[in-house]
Amino acid sequence: MTTARGIGGTLCAAAATLALGAFAPAHAADTLTICHGGHPIMESNIKIIEKWAKKAGVNIKSDVIAYAIYVPKITQLLTTNSPQCDIIWHNDDWGQLWKQYLVTTDEVPGIGEVDKQPLDAFWNDEHKLTVVPMVHTVGTFFYRTDLVPENEVPKTFDDLVKVSEKLQKDGKVKWGYVGGMSMNNTWFSLWWTMWTNQCDILKPIYARTVKEWAADNWTPIIDQPCHQQIVEYWWDALHKAKISPEAMTTYGRNEANAIFEAGDAAFTVADSTFWGEFNDKNKSLVAGKVGMAKFPYGPGRTSPISWIDIWGWAIPKAVSPEHQKLAKQFLGEMLTDLDGQIGMWNETGGPPPNLKTWGTLKANDPTFRALQNAVFENEHVHSAYYFANWPQLHKAYSDVAIKALTGPREAIGQVLKDGVKSLHDAAVGQ
Amino acid sequence: MNARRNGLLTRLGEKERFALLLIAPAATVLVLFQIVPIVIGANASFRDWQLYNPKETWIGLAHYRYILSDPIFLTVVLPNTFVLMFASVAISLVVGMALAHLLNWNFRGHTLVQTMILLPQMIAPVIAATSMRWTFNDQFGVVAAFLRFIGYGQISWLAERWPSFLIVLFTDVWIWAPWFALILLAALKSLPREPFEAAQIDAAGRWRTFTHVTLPMLRPVIGVCVLIRSIDAFRTFDQVWVLTGGGPARTTEVFSIYAYIETFVNLDFGRGSAAAIVGAVIILIVAWIMYRAVDRLANVSR
Repeated sequence: MTTARGIGGTLCAAAATLALGAFAPAHAADTLTICHGGHPIMESNIKIIEKWAKKAGVNIKSDVIAYAIYVPKITQLLTTNSPQCDIIWHNDDWGQLWKQYLVTTDEVPGIGEVDKQPLDAFWNDEHKLTVVPMVHTVGTFFYRTDLVPENEVPKTFDDLVKVSEKLQKDGKVKWGYVGGMSMNNTWFSLWWTMWTNQCDILKPIYARTVKEWAADNWTPIIDQPCHQQIVEYWWDALHKAKISPEAMTTYGRNEANAIFEAGDAAFTVADSTFWGEFNDKNKSLVAGKVGMAKFPYGPGRTSPISWIDIWGWAIPKAVSPEHQKLAKQFLGEMLTDLDGQIGMWNETGGPPPNLKTWGTLKANDPTFRALQNAVFENEHVHSAYYFANWPQLHKAYSDVAIKALTGPREAIGQVLKDGVKSLHDAAVGQ
Repeated sequence: MNARRNGLLTRLGEKERFALLLIAPAATVLVLFQIVPIVIGANASFRDWQLYNPKETWIGLAHYRYILSDPIFLTVVLPNTFVLMFASVAISLVVGMALAHLLNWNFRGHTLVQTMILLPQMIAPVIAATSMRWTFNDQFGVVAAFLRFIGYGQISWLAERWPSFLIVLFTDVWIWAPWFALILLAALKSLPREPFEAAQIDAAGRWRTFTHVTLPMLRPVIGVCVLIRSIDAFRTFDQVWVLTGGGPARTTEVFSIYAYIETFVNLDFGRGSAAAIVGAVIILIVAWIMYRAVDRLANVSR
């Protein structure tokens, strides 16, 4: 065969392949793309979805999008009707941001078997659901069991300072409490204390609907005594009692977890899903010495309160009807796959969304019992605020709080008072 | 129409047509990825366009009025941007000049030193900034360990405005001084020998030779370096975002972070685009002034 004939043959074959490809029946339903943030829980949950998809002869393609650009990227896909992702990772923070771009999920099998309260973020304007829960995300108060007996675990803010100071004085630990505090990590210090001190960002306290906030003219309450108390509490923790590092105002979750895992702190607050990492001997010096307890509460309350929300999956409206149908089918199968969800819990420490699994876990798993006691059996609050301007409000809050915490103590009241306008403007999008 | 186009093409000589053909790919890329996005961005800046509310209602100059009356933009962002720009360029130039002179000598291990000096320039700024963030970490960083070793208490570098700003500046200089060094070294090596020999005959000392011979001859190169680097420093993003995120409490925010937050944190494409346009106009004016200055410098040294 001459070179020319060889090239000619190759070109003919390529043309034939292209032509066949063009006229062959479409196999649009063969692959579903799941876009997510690459968290181990998401990976584990995708394995369950994959198991059921495989039985139906459908491939699952997993596309990881960096967390830092996840919201803008997905928002851009949704607002431009892109069918690039058949299923997207969804969470409470964005429930109201994306509601009009997502298909409803009320009819997905198993949706009646999940906790109702965490769904609050995901109703659209016709009061239809736009999410299928994947896992519960719950903030958890972790402590060192080798340093603090169960009956001496702090119950109040004051206890936390006293126990920390004693441990530091005895040279058992460098820091009492460590937790993320910088923007996007506000939950792990300022906010859990805010909620456990009967306080909030906007009025009315613990409200999570636009209707309620609008009725109160989107009034921030960071200048109120309950809020000033918690900022002063953290100011003292950082600069006076020094139970926490002064640089904690700059810490993200990774820095705080690194200190706790190095054995340098007695207490921390993190998502329950970090239970696995804290107890991983390859990563943590405190493996096997970590316990979970209820949140200490402030002078504004007489009992703890915890935050419970969910991560979930959602289906963009731009996805073809066939893919929507398949996505709903596999998500329903994931949601009703009790063994699969228990496997996800065992693998990652992520509490399963289907409440039917909880009986089995409670009977057989002491860690789940501890988590249930520490978090689920308390009064709950939502950890996010469900409206489109929430990212602006969060940033404005973080700036005001950090300014107060890094300035002189006597200026805290004035800084918070001055911050009220910026929070209000952020909330109403001015 | 075709006749007119043919006429235009035939009026151009073969050489010109070939030149046009050569620049066509670059021009296409420039139009698609620079000009078109700028036009879209400029259009967006006059519209009420949040990413979650893509109605794009025309609102005229409202975003510009907001930005130009925003006290944070005027009293924090712009001063920070210019302080970072001038300080980083000035220090990088001085350090780069010193390094260039060092590398202009022949000594043992010259190649090794040269490679080491150029290393920061080879690392992506985001990685350099991340490593610097951990270097200055108050608990695990090498700086904290050294301070503990010499008996000094730990410093919460990133928790206060000026220490964190200094770390941003230090990181920027660390990354960019090698760039100055490389270009100035090439310029030094290309200088004629005669003026130096004449200075030697006149018994001029090293400092006098540097200030009266080397520096004047390097002026055009320095001018171009400063111009390019200043424009680049105005839009510094990675170092600031990774090291401080503009904090604590927006005190280290620079222009690029301001535009980024409006666009990608607040998801307000309209206001973010307006911020970018305002920044572009400012840097155009600054660049024009600097260009005039560089031009004058070049003419003086001719």
